[in-house]
Amino acid sequence: MALIELQEVSKIFGFGEATTLALDEINLSVEKGEFLAIMGPSGCGKTTLMNIIGLLDRPSHGKYLLEGRDSSRLRAGRQAKLRRDRIGFVFQFYNLLPRLNVLDNVALPLAYRGMTPVRRAKRASDILELIGLRDREYFLPKHLSGGQTQRVAIARALINNPSIIIADEPTGNLDSHDSKVVMELFADLHRSGHTILMVTHNPELTRYASRVIYMRDGMVVEEESTSIGAIAKGALRTYLRKRKTTEEDVLAGVSALLKDVPGKAMTSEPKAKPKSKSKKRSRRALRKARR
Amino acid sequence: MFSGNVKTAINSLRSAKWRSLLTMLGIIIGISSVVTVVSLGEGLKQQVVGQINSLGSDVLTVRPGKLVSDGSAKEKLNLLAFLSTSTLSEQDVTSISKLPSVGAVVPIDFVTNSASNGGQRLDNVSVLGTSSELNDILRPKMDFGGFFTKDNAGDNVAVIGAAVATQLFGGVNPIGHSVNVLGQDFVVRGAINPSAGGLISAQQTDLNYTVFLPFEPAKALVDGKVNISQILIRAKTGVNPDAAVADVQKTLLQNRSGTEDFTVLKQDQLLELTGGVVNTATGFVTGLAAVALLVGGIGIMDIMLVSVSERTREIGIRKAIGATNRQILSQFLTEGLALTIGGGFIGIIVSLLIFVLLRLYTGLHPVINAPVMILAVVVSIVVGIIFSVAPALKAARKDPIVALRGE
Ligand SMILES: Nc1ncnc2c1ncn2[C@@H]1O[C@H](COP(=O)(O)OP(=O)(O)O)[C@@H](O)[C@H]1O
Ligand SMILES: [Mg+2]
Repeated sequence: MALIELQEVSKIFGFGEATTLALDEINLSVEKGEFLAIMGPSGCGKTTLMNIIGLLDRPSHGKYLLEGRDSSRLRAGRQAKLRRDRIGFVFQFYNLLPRLNVLDNVALPLAYRGMTPVRRAKRASDILELIGLRDREYFLPKHLSGGQTQRVAIARALINNPSIIIADEPTGNLDSHDSKVVMELFADLHRSGHTILMVTHNPELTRYASRVIYMRDGMVVEEESTSIGAIAKGALRTYLRKRKTTEEDVLAGVSALLKDVPGKAMTSEPKAKPKSKSKKRSRRALRKARR
Repeated sequence: MFSGNVKTAINSLRSAKWRSLLTMLGIIIGISSVVTVVSLGEGLKQQVVGQINSLGSDVLTVRPGKLVSDGSAKEKLNLLAFLSTSTLSEQDVTSISKLPSVGAVVPIDFVTNSASNGGQRLDNVSVLGTSSELNDILRPKMDFGGFFTKDNAGDNVAVIGAAVATQLFGGVNPIGHSVNVLGQDFVVRGAINPSAGGLISAQQTDLNYTVFLPFEPAKALVDGKVNISQILIRAKTGVNPDAAVADVQKTLLQNRSGTEDFTVLKQDQLLELTGGVVNTATGFVTGLAAVALLVGGIGIMDIMLVSVSERTREIGIRKAIGATNRQILSQFLTEGLALTIGGGFIGIIVSLLIFVLLRLYTGLHPVINAPVMILAVVVSIVVGIIFSVAPALKAARKDPIVALRGE
C-alpha cells in the first residue's frame, strides 16, 4: 500500500471565464521513505498539488488516498486533525509567527493537540536540540538567520512526528550556504526514514531526492528515479543547456527550469531572462514573473 | 478549548496597548456607571432601612406635596417638594397634636444650610428647627451632652451632628461652644454620635451634617416664616398606625378644606418610596450604560474585524499546522473576552475611585456589594461574546490556501 495515492486528481480554481485548471488528472503514488522532488515552471500546479496532499485543500475531481484511506472528501475538522497529526509543512518564507519565540513556534502544533504547556516546551526543546538550535530557544524569529529560521520551521514540522514532510521551495529564500545546511537536515531526516515531498527550482537539490517528477500545466510530464548524490538527468539536461544562468541564480532557485522542462520543452522560449548581477534583483524578478 | 488561548490573547492585546485601551473605553464607561449608580442606590436604601430600624415602624411622616397613590410620577414630585415652600404649617402641627391617636408630634423646619463657629463656615449642613420630642423618636446616641429638653424650648441652644462637631470644633468637646446660624449664636448642648447616621427623610438629610435648634428660636431667625419640610408623628402606644394615618389625614384635609397637598407615610411606605426613586435613577443610568456598552461592543467588533484581516497570514499558518476552525474561533473569542473583561475590571476600578471622591466631597455613601460586581463581570462576558462572534467566525472561516498566498 502506497503512503500517498492520487487517482486522476484535478483541481479547478475560479468560476466561469476566470477558471484555472491547476491540476489535470494527476496520477501519483508515493511510498513510505521516499524523497520526492517536484520540479516545474512557476504556475504549473506544484503548490496546489502539495496543498492537496497536505490536506490544506481538496481535489475538485479524483481520489486521494492517504495511508490507504480516502481523504479527498473529508470534513474541515477531520482534515485539520489529520493535517496536524500526519503532515509537516515547510514553506519558502518560513511562516513562523513573528511574535512567538522559537520554542513557542516549534511547540505550537502540540497546543492544537491539547498538550499541556510544560510537556509542549519539553518536546519542542528536545527537537531543537536535535537540529542544533537549542541555544536559540528564546530568540524571536527576526533575530535568526534565514537558515536558522528555516531549520526552526522544519523543527515545527517535525514535532508531531508526521508521516509526510511537505516542503514547498524550502531553499527558495536562502543563500547557498544556508541551502546546504537545510538540505543536509532533510537528508538526515530521509535517512532516518521520513517521507519527504519537496518542490524546488534548483537542479542541484535533486541530488538529495530518490525520485524526481516534472510538472507542466497541471500535469506530471516526466518521472525519474535517481540515486542519492546524483543530479537528476532530466534536471541536468535543462540545466546544462541553459548554462548562461549564473551560479548565484541557480542557488537562488532561478534556474532554466523556471521556463522550461525536459522532454516536452516549450516551443516558444522567452528570450528575456533576468541577467541580474545581484541575486536579490533576480529574486524580485522571479517573484514578479510568478504573478 | 485550546489551552494557550488566554496567553495568546493577552499577548496580542498587549502588542496594541493603546488600541486595546481605546477599544475598551465604551465598556469601561458602561460598567463604571452602572456599578456607581447601583452602589449609590444600595447605599441610600441601606440608610433608609437603618432609619426605619432606629425610628420604629410606628412612626409616621407627613410630607408636603401630593403624591399620586402609585406610579412613578410620585417620586419626582416628592424630590422637588423640598425646593419649594412647604405646604405644611404650624397650625397643622398644633391640630395633629390634639388627636387622641397620636403620641409625639415633631415638626422639622428647614432653616438654612450653613452654620459657622464664628470663623469657619460649613455650607453643606441642614439647620433644622424642631421640638425636644424628636429625641423620643430618633433616640440618637450622644457623644457629648444631650438633646435639648422642653425647658430649652425658648433658649438659643443647639445639638449638632458628628461631622459638624469635628469640622467646626476639631473633635474636642464642643459643649459650651457656639454655632452661629444666620448671625445668631447658639450654645452647643449636645453632639450626636456618628453611628446614629441615617436619614430623617428620603431627602438625604444626614444626621452627621445636621444642626438642630429648638423650634421657636429657629422660627425667630427667619421672622416666623417657617418651612416645615416634614412632620414626624409617633402613634400612641396600642393604637394601630393605620388608624393614626387616617386621623392625621382627616385633620389635615379639614385644615385646608379638602385640598390634598400633603402626604402621610408610614415607615414601610417611605422605604418603598426610596426604593422607587433608586430604581428610577438606576433604570435611567442603566439605559445610558446599555448604550455605552452597545457602542463599546460595536467598537470591539470593528477593531477585531480589522485585526482579523491584518492577521490573515497568521490564521493561515495556524491552520496549516493543524488548528481546526473551532480552535481559531475560540482563539478570537478569547481575545474579545479578554478585551471586555479587562474593560469591566478597569470599569470597576474607576467606580471605586468615584466612590472615594463621593465620600470625600459629598454626603453620599455608596455601598459596594457582591451582586453588583458579579453583574459587572457577567455583563462584560456577555458583551464580549456577542460582539466577538462575528470577527471570530470570519477568522475561523478563512481559507488557509488564500491566507497563505497573501504575502
Ligand atoms: N487559490 C487560488 N485561486 C485561484 N487560482 C489559483 C489559486 N491557487 C493557485 N491558482 C492558480 O493555479 C495555478 C497553479 O498554481 P500553483 O499551484 O501555485 O503553481 P506553482 O506552485 O507551481 O507555482 C496557477 O495558475 C495559479 O494562478
Ligand atoms: Mg508554488
